[in-house]
Amino acid sequence: MAAPLPAEAGAVALTAQNVTIRFGGVVAVAGMALDATPGEIVGLIGPNGAGKTTFVNCICGTYRPNAGTALWLGRELLGLSPHALLKLGVARTFQNVASLHDLTVLDIAKLGAAVRAGSGGFFASEKALEAELTETLLRPLHLADVAHTPIQTLPYGRRKAADLARALAAQPQLLLLDEPVAGLTSQEGMAMAAVIRGVRDRFGCAVIMVEHKMDVVMSTCDRIAVMAAGSKIFEGLPEEVQSDAEVQRVYLGEPG
Amino acid sequence: MTLALQLAVAGLATGSVYALIALGIVLIYKCSGVVNFAQGAYAMLGAYASYVLLSAGLPAVLAVLASMGVMAGVGALTERLVLRPMLKAPVVAVMMVTLGLLICARAACLAVFGPDQIAFPPVFPEGAVSAGGIFVTYNYIAAGILAAVLSLGFLLFYARTPMGLMQRCAADNSRAALAIGIHVSNQVSAAWAMSAALAGLAGTLLATLNGLSLGLADIGMVAFPVVVVGGLSSLEGALVAGLVLGVLQSFTDGLLTPALEDVLRANTGIYSVGALQQVLPYALLVLMLLLRPQGLFGRRGAERI
Repeated sequence: MAAPLPAEAGAVALTAQNVTIRFGGVVAVAGMALDATPGEIVGLIGPNGAGKTTFVNCICGTYRPNAGTALWLGRELLGLSPHALLKLGVARTFQNVASLHDLTVLDIAKLGAAVRAGSGGFFASEKALEAELTETLLRPLHLADVAHTPIQTLPYGRRKAADLARALAAQPQLLLLDEPVAGLTSQEGMAMAAVIRGVRDRFGCAVIMVEHKMDVVMSTCDRIAVMAAGSKIFEGLPEEVQSDAEVQRVYLGEPG
Repeated sequence: MTLALQLAVAGLATGSVYALIALGIVLIYKCSGVVNFAQGAYAMLGAYASYVLLSAGLPAVLAVLASMGVMAGVGALTERLVLRPMLKAPVVAVMMVTLGLLICARAACLAVFGPDQIAFPPVFPEGAVSAGGIFVTYNYIAAGILAAVLSLGFLLFYARTPMGLMQRCAADNSRAALAIGIHVSNQVSAAWAMSAALAGLAGTLLATLNGLSLGLADIGMVAFPVVVVGGLSSLEGALVAGLVLGVLQSFTDGLLTPALEDVLRANTGIYSVGALQQVLPYALLVLMLLLRPQGLFGRRGAERI
């Protein structure tokens, strides 16, 4: 497995500035800026259509933004493929877990490790890897009992957990989570939040988390950025967010 | 009984060679969604490459490995130069192009090596074993075992290694594979390279059994019934169907045809029924498409076309 990139504690690891993307005439993300330091969980919240997922998609190679920079440990991320980003230690999870018919939960986790390692692990001992992944990832995510079950047959919450296991198996230093608890029961959501904090504590990675569920965001994130209409309207500590008038107006006050 | 055993062994040997070629077709279909008609051309080119290298005096093992290497290159090049520019073209157009490649490869070999059958230099030791009343040449044993081991090895590779896992993911859902960081185009190239190398080896093995000729390209046409019977997207199916078809062909040739001809000669004016074993794969193909279109191991509705 590739050696992790050096990430000094406290140093800013990700600096995204002026990230802008247009789809036709619609400016989905307009001059968005966001920082993240190792060991920090940054929450990205905002009303539907604010551009949160689009911003994450720009950072992690799904979209190519029209303008902006996103420096990660001195390297420009924008425009890199997901493959190249994983090699730099940037992994993400998805809002909707893609349909993969043939693969089991353990396969999905192994994919994360395989993609990070490249094809170099051609003859790597599968047994040892499987045992390690099961112990370090699947068990904490309560997936050990379904390790050999095809992912497609599992309920939504467990598929999301498997997707997180896949991202974590790549040993990321920057982890982008797109609505990790959306669609989960509140019990599952709280368990997932605990896992995310555990991951941060164990790996010391920077986490950026797009999420709607405010109780999870408040209890998980160290810092919160609020997006509306494609740009950042507020950034601060969780307790500050709740008292900010502008945030309350565009977001917290709105139903749904 | 001895005859049946004899025929079964010979059938398993050719059947495992069919399986080797069919595996390549399935692999390419799974990751590119294209039925590759050029698979027979890969087999023929591989056999001619082995022939050239053997004639140049290379040791047999080295020559066969080198020809597989050359064929892997040819497969990867096909993907890069022909398939990739046609990424947005309809699947049928791409399939027609692979058919064109088959014709081109045949024409090129005709121009270089001429139309006549060439005696293939010996790759395996001469001789035969006889056990339990049956008699099998080393050629058949070696070809059968080599093809079977490689087919199984390939299945294991696909099921057990990290690279096989990435290939499975890319074949399952290429957009998802791309999103989670798999270099899908490299995996597709690798699949074409492996398919061509396997077909090249299969072609060489067939040439050691039946001699070297342009007709080797037709093996691709036998491999299609194998693929359809096994299930277009099932590697295990290709392996099983390849073996079954090999044995059935062998029995048709050795038992059914003589019996049928005896009956016909006694009762009618018909003297010969021709090469019935060559008809068998296609008869099986039609039967399978009528009764179980998804094949023995295929999943219903798994077709991507």
